[in-house]
Amino acid sequence: MTALSFHGVRKTFGPTVALYGLDLDIKDGEMITLLGPSGCGKTTALRIAAGFEFADSGIVEVGGADISGTPAHRRNMGMVFQSYSLFPNLSVAQNIDFGLRTRKIDKPQRQKRVNEMLDLVQLGEFAGRYPHQLSGGQQQRVALARALAPQPQLLLLDEPLSALDAKVRATLREEIKRIQTELGITTLFVTHDQDEALAISDRIGVMSSGRLEQLGTPTEVYRRPSTAFVARFVGSMNELRGAVTGDSVDVLSYRIPVPAAAQHATGTPVLLLVRPEDFELVTEPDQGLSGTVTGVTFQGATTIVGVRLDVLDQLVNVETRAGADPVIGSRVAVAVDGTRGVCEPAHVVVAAVSTTAA
Amino acid sequence: MAQVGLARQRLARVVPTLVLVVAAVFFIAPLLSMARFALQNVQVFQLGTSNLFKNWSFSEVTRAFHEPAFGSTLLLSLRLALGTVLLTLGLLIPTALLVHVKLPKARAAVEFFTLLPYMVPPIALVAGVIGFIRPNARWFVSSNYSLIPFYVVLALPFTYRSIDAGIRAIDVRTLIDASRSLGAGWGTTLRRALLPNLRSAIISSSFLTATVVLGEFTMAQVLLKRTFPQFLAEFGRKEARGGIALALLTLVATTALLGLLTLLTRRKGATGRRGGLAETLTAGPITVPSERA
Repeated sequence: MTALSFHGVRKTFGPTVALYGLDLDIKDGEMITLLGPSGCGKTTALRIAAGFEFADSGIVEVGGADISGTPAHRRNMGMVFQSYSLFPNLSVAQNIDFGLRTRKIDKPQRQKRVNEMLDLVQLGEFAGRYPHQLSGGQQQRVALARALAPQPQLLLLDEPLSALDAKVRATLREEIKRIQTELGITTLFVTHDQDEALAISDRIGVMSSGRLEQLGTPTEVYRRPSTAFVARFVGSMNELRGAVTGDSVDVLSYRIPVPAAAQHATGTPVLLLVRPEDFELVTEPDQGLSGTVTGVTFQGATTIVGVRLDVLDQLVNVETRAGADPVIGSRVAVAVDGTRGVCEPAHVVVAAVSTTAA
Repeated sequence: MAQVGLARQRLARVVPTLVLVVAAVFFIAPLLSMARFALQNVQVFQLGTSNLFKNWSFSEVTRAFHEPAFGSTLLLSLRLALGTVLLTLGLLIPTALLVHVKLPKARAAVEFFTLLPYMVPPIALVAGVIGFIRPNARWFVSSNYSLIPFYVVLALPFTYRSIDAGIRAIDVRTLIDASRSLGAGWGTTLRRALLPNLRSAIISSSFLTATVVLGEFTMAQVLLKRTFPQFLAEFGRKEARGGIALALLTLVATTALLGLLTLLTRRKGATGRRGGLAETLTAGPITVPSERA
């Protein structure tokens, strides 16, 4: 069943188009992340869902009912904000109670619910504290408890972790996922942090300049990015300039089979995007592109080797299993597995270079 | 090197102390002189260092209390103060919130307009009132309480700044959004999420308003209202020592109130919140209300 749907939701702010007709269906109990750089429209989509902004055209539905015109306070959605949003004049317990009071629930029931929520976010002994006596992470946990207390139909999370430091962010991320799974509440999460998105989402919608570029599971988005934007934004990417030949890309005389290349006509100059883990250092120079090692970054299980290719002076990163790491300045050859590569038509200048070189 | 550093350190300690002492003398000497003149039953030409503690009494103050106009003018001024405070808060809080949340671009303009009453002398304002409102709405200016709207305008430079500082200190937008997402309408949001967090700003702006009203002379004089400052001036003309005694008492009472409210606005749970009296008085271009008669 669909819990939340956007149908052709369009929104402009003056001359700026924030959303070009967004279509998105979120299933019951699912956690969907809208991922994208700032200004891509993800927050606008969330604020439209919350009722803080209204779409210029298009429909927002919750459980099949059109709520496009319903004001925010009648929408029954819980929201956690990027900035600390607890009411400074109220204690932790009173903050959690806020939404229960507005719903005119009687006192003993409210008390019970507040205690449940405090247990859920493991802040029982902080009930009487005031927000300024809590750390950032604790404040966001209270904010989560407050949002969930009135048992909303939907949970909206607007970059709730971005104000926190790295360690707290990781813990709270896990906690949000645990609570979300435990309660089975449909959740729309907005972030610009790909690690966050990949770690906790059921599905990710990658957005760019007001458009949804791709919607898919974290694996799909990472493994099979449907556009060059998605490929670059999620995870890191190497870019190779080349030209299409059938279902391969030729980087000079080195031919890389790339299924995605078939969409382009033979001879089209392209940028081939391939992840560092699909590159491999090889011993025979004729089995790859030759180059010089410019950097070695040890990352624990893997090592990132920076290589400046002889071809067009292109810099690439190669992810290798830790082992015999090459020395900076040494000559290496790099083999490319283009199975999961993405092709983007290149600019004319680049085309001129690559065709003459070929 | 060390010698120079030491000398500099000593200088850094001495200079502020010196400034403080000079300033204190500058402020306190006139007050002490007022006190001696008004409250010491000694001939003025005999006042000296030898009789510092001789014959102090509150008889001049009590005399002022027995004046028939004392009670009525004070009551009128207090009522005017209350009315002005209520009207000011009723107008300014929604306006400042609206400007902050919906029209952030208008903020500079609003700030400028609220400063205007500070630049335009009250006498010019009252001339406008006489020229325009008196011939057109005589019934309005004939009431004592017609002063209220003008006092709201007079106090605007102080009150708006205070409320604005309070609003700036909290994340109004997020608080509104949070409250609304929790099912609260605009009324509940204002009452439960915003006003309590503007408490210190509200208290300090009320206080500033009251100070302006209790000290305003020009408008009341020209519009022929008998407010407390009028009484103070009249009484001072009649009884030199009594006038000074009363002025001193007013000053002390106001200061005590100021201290009390500063304490009140610094309550628990409010740490780090801005817009309190101390901040309003020290921040911004205006430091002290100067409309006092």
